[in-house]
Amino acid sequence: MKKWFFKIIPSEEWHFTAIVTLGIVFGLGFYIFYISKAWSYLSDRPETCVNCHVMATEYVTWFHSSHKRGVCNDCHVPHQNFLVRYLFKAKDGLRHATIFTLRLEPQTIKMNEAGVEVVGENCLRCHKAVFGRLFQNAKQTQEIKSRDCWNCHRETPHGRVKSLSSVPNARVPLPESPVPEWLSHLLKN
Amino acid sequence: MKAVNQIIKEKPWMGWVIFFITMVVTFFIGLLASSIMERRTEAIIINKPKADIKAFESDNKVWGQYYKDEYQSYLQTADTSFKSKYGGSATIDMLEEAPEMVVLWAGYPFSKDYRQGRGHYYAVDDIITTLRTAAPAKPGTDPMPATCWTCKSPDVPRLMNKMGIDSFYHQKWSTFITEIKNPIGCADCHDPATMDLQITRPALLEAFKRNGKDIAKVSQQEMRSLVCAQCHVEYYFKGDGKYLTFPWDKGMDVDNIEKYYDAIEFSDWTHSISKANMIKAQHPDYEIYSMGIHAQRGLACADCHMPYKSEGGRKFTDHHIQSPLNNISNTCQICHRESEAELLRTVYERQDKIAEQKQILEKLLVKAHYEAKAAWDNGATATDMKPALTEIRHAQWRWDFAAASHGAAFHAPIEVMRIIATGIEKTQQARLILSKISAKKGIIEDIAIPDISTKANAQKAVGLDMPTIEKEKQLFLKKLKTDWK
Repeated sequence: MKKWFFKIIPSEEWHFTAIVTLGIVFGLGFYIFYISKAWSYLSDRPETCVNCHVMATEYVTWFHSSHKRGVCNDCHVPHQNFLVRYLFKAKDGLRHATIFTLRLEPQTIKMNEAGVEVVGENCLRCHKAVFGRLFQNAKQTQEIKSRDCWNCHRETPHGRVKSLSSVPNARVPLPESPVPEWLSHLLKN
Repeated sequence: MKAVNQIIKEKPWMGWVIFFITMVVTFFIGLLASSIMERRTEAIIINKPKADIKAFESDNKVWGQYYKDEYQSYLQTADTSFKSKYGGSATIDMLEEAPEMVVLWAGYPFSKDYRQGRGHYYAVDDIITTLRTAAPAKPGTDPMPATCWTCKSPDVPRLMNKMGIDSFYHQKWSTFITEIKNPIGCADCHDPATMDLQITRPALLEAFKRNGKDIAKVSQQEMRSLVCAQCHVEYYFKGDGKYLTFPWDKGMDVDNIEKYYDAIEFSDWTHSISKANMIKAQHPDYEIYSMGIHAQRGLACADCHMPYKSEGGRKFTDHHIQSPLNNISNTCQICHRESEAELLRTVYERQDKIAEQKQILEKLLVKAHYEAKAAWDNGATATDMKPALTEIRHAQWRWDFAAASHGAAFHAPIEVMRIIATGIEKTQQARLILSKISAKKGIIEDIAIPDISTKANAQKAVGLDMPTIEKEKQLFLKKLKTDWK
């Protein structure tokens, strides 16, 4: 490892150029980190989910729902343990980021299979008290689990009207200009 | 493997290959960056209102051109067809419902006319037609200050911006009668440049500032209540300048506001029967709502009074601000799974029980006022009377605090019941003191109460000449149309 590293080190007269070049590449990397608000994905704040504006409908329908007291991640990421949780966040997040970057989002966003399973489990996690009576035996359990809660509870929590263009005037905390205030102030004057 | 330096030295084209690879990688990183920036710019464009509305635009129609759904639903506040058991959007003559109120407000304009308000759409019409604003002969000659306009129209912030807050309050009510045309609407709560919620009335901002709170730091959810709290609160007109002020400096509950008023020896009027220095409660809706379970669970006014509405493929905030009882399926039932009938029953149960106690308090207060009059008539001194009159002042303040806030019985039933209970206790305390005073003068029989079985009888009993008052008002309304333009 060490040997390999020494082999790509440029000769002394090129050190300065190499340092500057590396600085440019890393700077660009940090710039991407900054404009994509990458750090915000470590949190559970609902505002993070509208970093991508295509999630505005999901945000605002949740905001007006009975599940408002929870946050997106209460339902949409698994809660077994820290590892499973962050692994799922990373996997799902990267998928979302790819779709968004390549502009592949559909007009009406729907959950994929992994998401359906996680949300289903989270319904049970909180509403266990209600289901306790229903899971009397294996047959019943299987029967209930063969359907999704929202097959019947269709309005919970996002409602049925939720395409990209269905909330034209919603006030959603979308990210604002990444140019810091002092700079935009300087540029204006 | 040789060192890279060595390789490049031997085959200079390898240097070029590394150079081009680095260039391509950087190029693509750059592309990714610009793609992220593009999508972020989209977000900024999406969030920017596609409307060209100038600052302080008070004409709701202008806003309505750009926000058709919201405007159309706002126009429905003109609907007066919904009646619930105790409220709704129809006009209710409250003095007819409870003629006792005429006695409670004797000597104060409320005894002339008090109707449950209609929707925001009628704010300007209703303040002009109510008998409370009297019948000024010429603009600027009436007893009412311009402060009365504060909550009625988006023209108010426009005028305040033009002439200054202080000098706006200094004018007379009738001075602006031809200037203020638009009923409560868009500009009262929205910033025309961003469409974000904003506070346009100085009193709320000033109350926040005095209490060391920063309105710029509150969440969107809190703003969805605070825009309502610009007006749906207890307030008073401070000093000769009639400066609209919220009495929140000691706290927002009935006891602390009472302490605040006592400390500055404020009174709205002197009662014409008992001669007590009275406080009129306005509509402490926000204060009472804050003490209820729904506020404690983080709900805002807009959650129940302006729920989401879908029409076709779109969703928007229903700007038909109204009683949630007329829209249970989009309000209560978002969270509560019970049937509409059951939810309605629960609300009415609270309202019925509170109304029952409120009526008991009303009747006791009437007795207290007349018993005080009897004591005065039999030669009681101001020193004798002071403790009893203070109890009456506090008791009626408590009754009014609970009664003037129409949604109170539902918003915070336990607090409202407590307020009424302390009101009853204080009224009886006053009557106990008064009966001792009367007993000393040798009067032991019950004090006679005049006939107040109807609004008209009660108004006659407190000495109001209603036919003249009404005739003058009609003349004023006629002249307003012809001469005041």
